[in-house]
Amino acid sequence: MAYQQSVMDKMREIAQDCQGSQTSYCNARCPMHTDATKYIQQISENKLEDAIVTIREKLFLPGSLGRVCAHPCETECRRNTEYGQPLSIAALKRYAADKADKEELWDVSKKPSSGKKTAVIGAGPAGAQAAIDLAKEGHAVTVYEKLPVVGGMMRVGIPEYRLPAAVIDFEYKYLSKLGIELKLGVEVGKDVTFDSLISEHDAVVLANGAHKSFVPSVAGMEGVEGITNAVDFLKETSLGENNFEVKGDVIVIGGGDVSMDCARTAARRGARSVTTVSLECLEELPASAHEQDGAIEEGVAFACGWCAEEVISEGGRIKAVTFVECTSCFDAQGNFAPTFGDDRRTIECATLIFATGQIVLDVTEGALEQGGGGRYVADKQTLATKLDKVFVAGDNAGGTIVVEAMALGRKAAISVNRFLAGQDISANRDFENEYDFKSQLDIPLPKDVEDLPRKHTTTIPVVERNNFSECDLGFDDETALAESSRCLKCECKECMRECIMLNDFTQYPGALFKKFLEDGDIEPIVAYSCNMCDQCTLVCPKEFKFAELFGAIRKDMVKANNGQSPIPGHKAINMHQLLGFSKLFTVRIKGGGK
Amino acid sequence: MSRKAFLPGCALPSYSPENVSKTIMYLKSVYPDLSVIQKCCGKPTKAVGQAELFTQRFNGLVEDIKYCGADEVIIACQSCMNTLKECKDYETRSLWALFPEIGLPKEVLGKAKDSDVVFSVQDSCSVRGNTDIHDGIRWILTELGYKYEESPRTRENTRCCGFGGMVGAANPDVAMRVMKRRVDDFTTPYIVTYCAACRQSMLKAGGKAWHILDLVWGDVVTSNTVPPEDVLASPVKAWKNRYRSKGLIKKAYR
Repeated sequence: MAYQQSVMDKMREIAQDCQGSQTSYCNARCPMHTDATKYIQQISENKLEDAIVTIREKLFLPGSLGRVCAHPCETECRRNTEYGQPLSIAALKRYAADKADKEELWDVSKKPSSGKKTAVIGAGPAGAQAAIDLAKEGHAVTVYEKLPVVGGMMRVGIPEYRLPAAVIDFEYKYLSKLGIELKLGVEVGKDVTFDSLISEHDAVVLANGAHKSFVPSVAGMEGVEGITNAVDFLKETSLGENNFEVKGDVIVIGGGDVSMDCARTAARRGARSVTTVSLECLEELPASAHEQDGAIEEGVAFACGWCAEEVISEGGRIKAVTFVECTSCFDAQGNFAPTFGDDRRTIECATLIFATGQIVLDVTEGALEQGGGGRYVADKQTLATKLDKVFVAGDNAGGTIVVEAMALGRKAAISVNRFLAGQDISANRDFENEYDFKSQLDIPLPKDVEDLPRKHTTTIPVVERNNFSECDLGFDDETALAESSRCLKCECKECMRECIMLNDFTQYPGALFKKFLEDGDIEPIVAYSCNMCDQCTLVCPKEFKFAELFGAIRKDMVKANNGQSPIPGHKAINMHQLLGFSKLFTVRIKGGGK
Repeated sequence: MSRKAFLPGCALPSYSPENVSKTIMYLKSVYPDLSVIQKCCGKPTKAVGQAELFTQRFNGLVEDIKYCGADEVIIACQSCMNTLKECKDYETRSLWALFPEIGLPKEVLGKAKDSDVVFSVQDSCSVRGNTDIHDGIRWILTELGYKYEESPRTRENTRCCGFGGMVGAANPDVAMRVMKRRVDDFTTPYIVTYCAACRQSMLKAGGKAWHILDLVWGDVVTSNTVPPEDVLASPVKAWKNRYRSKGLIKKAYR
């Protein structure tokens, strides 16, 4: 039926502006959009298997990410923006994984075979995610991995004491369960040519990672012993090779998480002392606070605001490094443009490790152009390259943390899937949801909310950290429960918490009126179930007047129904009203005498 | 002094003709030239969505007010008060906000000072913004000697009794859930309302409820008192009462 223009306009406004569909702050900031609000709620109810199912709807490695995710979600957490005490979201994820994850809970369903063959280069988080998504779509997937192990940089770049290999191996079983073929120890460009991959597959995803350290050229370092780089150092440690000899005092150059990993690994491999030296001043250090704290605890020294100028050697081995003062790292526009002062210092050492960035090595034998950091030139939204069946992901596409790499793997898989189906790879695609975005949620803090401090996991004592056993022990039950209970469950369901009848008909008013607009009508019982008490309006951040709208809708319904309410039960009201106005039951008496 | 008319509404006469007539007698002692109109304001017609029929019916009531020459209408029903505001030819006054100004009859003051009952107030959601009405009800309770307690959802933050919007006839299941929730809100088992429909809702959901006029004109309520029966649940009794109320009003002017 037809409704007045004013009713239609109001419905459109609500359908568009109702915040019921707004994603929580943490969820929006996660490039994979893990529903943290939901699984934290489940943890707080001790429904750990449910929590795992929720996490696994988006992430195939809850245990790994629970340990090493840089958790951008926690930065956006309302308890961080309000009080500086974010929920320990990652640690809660790990808790659920450690306690409840098991293969029986894994969703190994997939679509019927498409008959298409795809190849993924690299078994890191980006390649694995792309492989999983493609396999679930029914495509045959083969993963080519140069290393003898799965996990990519997550495996050989993140030390064992932060992320045990057993956790990765367990979680990667999911790939085999989905029928993905893993070819480990196969290097594209050496064991198999890029051209043959192209010709034997319908689509190829390049997720080979940034496995080469970028090492600046410092005077006097040429041919000197005792110098290595982060990628090689961490990789050989992870693989148990330990060919490089860590001797005496160690300097690690770099200020990021990788530098912290090198420093703490060097300490475990017998360094007498470890000093990290960064261009950035302490406040600008790119390493996450958590990793800095770990390094400080383990006795790593920090020298901030210094740039390596000269390597001093003796008898062919490094003896010291001279540094020049770095006065600033960035120009006014925020570009990396270090400036130097006159101050100099020399730090003695027997070992030097460069943790100054990584780059992507080409696996296409020059077929694709590489840009900054060795990243392939590709469309930022679709990750398509100039080769029509080749897509990129992970480090190749600009991701810097594990969960970003995964999101880029998923993005590449969406493109591949469309490409294989002969569809336009960008038409009607929700690009915003394929990566992180800023939640538009604008709601008041819940009433009576308390500023409760963030809970921390327990770690093994510093004196025991002389090997590669895991350092962080995670949450115990009690702490996990307390921490999960701090979640503010950020969502706008204010009216839904107040109104009984809305819950019978919808998830939130925006959805109700969106459906109304799509269907062109609504069941009369919806409009006629409103008590018109305005309790919804009182709590609505947008102050939408639903009672008024339902009243206007009722009017139109009566108009379309020959002046009568469409509700059968209202016949009684007709009679009631007739009597209420009838002479029999009414009286008027004018006061003040006859 | 302005000329006043009293409008008891519909549910109150159907519930208790005595409350209507006693109120009129008292108001007449304060305002000797008081007029009285017993008629519906048309709110149910409006709530159902019959806009044209409502206007027609409402205009009839406005005509009655003009016939009485009243420039201020004293109203015992919150819905009537909101409806009557649609016309600007007269002032509207809630009976509950008026009592603190004119006072209660001397004989009822402090009568319940020994009662062991602590009331919770069901504020009508249709007047959640009218602080003077909320204050008036509490003033009346205090003058009578009753104790009361504010529950978390009170005054401007009150909740619907479940009767609003004619939901009872359209979706009785929803109405009943709203009624039950409302009864559960209160921190004491004794509820006082100032709307006969609210009172009925509270009874339906298993609450013990009185109308404020029951407390003003009736016997003192103690923890042993059984609330007046739900006469509104029986259409026959309700219409009988409405008819009887009309008779008592006429009698008051004989």
